[in-house]
Amino acid sequence: MLDLTMIELTAYALQILLIILAIAIVVHRNNGTIIILITSFSLVTACLYIMNKAPDVAIAEVAIGSAIIPLIYVISISRQREFIVLDKALDDFIISDNQFTGVGYILLKRFTDLYHLELNITNDPGLCKLGTGRDQLLCEQTNVDLIVTKDEETNKYILKGKKSSILLQKLESMAKDYDNIEVIQFKDRDFGD
Amino acid sequence: MDPILTFVVILIGFYGLSTSTNIIKSVFCVTIIESGVILLFLNLGNLDGGSIPIVGEGITMIADPLPQALMITTIVIGSTVTALALMLCIKVFHHYGTVEWAEILRREEGK
Amino acid sequence: MTKHLIIIILLGVLLAVFVVAMQDVQILYNTALKSYLVEGVIPRGFEETGSRNLVTAILLDYRLFDSLFEAGILLIAVSGIIWISKHDIEEKNAQFMYDKFKTPDLFVTFSRLVYPLMLTFGFYVIINGHLSPGGGFQGGAIVASAILILYYIDHDKETNIKLIVTVEKFLYIAILLFAGISIFTRGTFFTNFIPTHYSYDVQTIYLVILNIMIGFKVALGLWAIFTAFLKEGR
Repeated sequence: MLDLTMIELTAYALQILLIILAIAIVVHRNNGTIIILITSFSLVTACLYIMNKAPDVAIAEVAIGSAIIPLIYVISISRQREFIVLDKALDDFIISDNQFTGVGYILLKRFTDLYHLELNITNDPGLCKLGTGRDQLLCEQTNVDLIVTKDEETNKYILKGKKSSILLQKLESMAKDYDNIEVIQFKDRDFGD
Repeated sequence: MDPILTFVVILIGFYGLSTSTNIIKSVFCVTIIESGVILLFLNLGNLDGGSIPIVGEGITMIADPLPQALMITTIVIGSTVTALALMLCIKVFHHYGTVEWAEILRREEGK
Repeated sequence: MTKHLIIIILLGVLLAVFVVAMQDVQILYNTALKSYLVEGVIPRGFEETGSRNLVTAILLDYRLFDSLFEAGILLIAVSGIIWISKHDIEEKNAQFMYDKFKTPDLFVTFSRLVYPLMLTFGFYVIINGHLSPGGGFQGGAIVASAILILYYIDHDKETNIKLIVTVEKFLYIAILLFAGISIFTRGTFFTNFIPTHYSYDVQTIYLVILNIMIGFKVALGLWAIFTAFLKEGR
């Protein structure tokens, strides 16, 4: 039992480290920390591949596991926490005097802080140019979660979003207190038509 | 170098897969299982006294090259499958507003 | 809590079954496989394929059928990702999908230094696949991560994903045709097409060309994947 060579001892130590890392990944709650853990996990497995006499596999693991896998995890985790708002009203509802102090902004900020989301407001001219008739298409085809428009006749602000999203229902119950805000939910349509 | 310790990693991955509440956590666990399976294959092919599978003068014993050849493709394919799963996950978030399994199932049933 | 306990007990049973089964498997491996390797693979592997790296010999000759269609799976997965992430609204609107964050200057400078070295190393790994550890799949991954550095240096780099995927499709068809040439010269599909009476140096031409093609295909596939993600990540 005791006549282990140095390399075998290292291999056992690395395998135990691998088990500890795996348990940490499964138990940990913060997704951001898990990315660092999974990168070190893949580097430790690359060491073990070399010790198992497989240098080809180790090269592939290092090349993919150290650059591309962390990148796609980072992007998808940061996307997972964001609420995209397209501002088509373009008046003091959200931005007044070049500062985020409008009524709508305070409502949305309160909403996203409550559910630990990241508010992301865009007024991209290419998307704003599209007519109101294509709002539903815009919601389905891009990642925009909420569209803000203004009804000129009744002076009401209309927030539009997908009915399937759980966030929209929470937003609707939150916006009840405001008189000049109305929430519209688009019904689901089948994909692929 | 012990297949049993490697199998423990796979089992930890299964445990995480069956108890995870979050879609991204499930994808992490699939990655763990994949690494464990690769390590198990290489472990079994690594025979006593073998060297790396490059033949030349004086080489008498090598590790089995067949599992290694299969595992290289597994790594490349596995990364793309992970990417596909994560891309679906982004779409699911923007459609349902959440990435918790329980919430999504509740919304699907309540339709 | 009981649910977790039941899962742990079930996994423990699995582990016990594995421990029992493992002993037989190891005996099998250490007797049958050993003689197969010593008598079959080691003396004949180099002579039949001309590749000193036996992993490359299996990927590109003995089991070319497998590796070709696994490259096909890569193509299908890439197409799936592009299809899921496509935006039907006009493509010029997609410019709002880029990050405005600034990369640190030190990182940009070092990326400029490292980028050509990484690219060279990737090509070295691809071309030397039959002599040293490496080959098309690994080298392609290294080239792809070298290209990824370009996106850190230049934020507003425009990429045409459709062109990348189209080139990848044509390259895949070219790989299939190139691998199929052997039916005219040797009479069987998917093997080295150079006749056996040529020397090993001539036979490696086939290995190098196929490695380069597979390497470019894999690099293009991974490139398409992370461009799709970067666009998605805005």
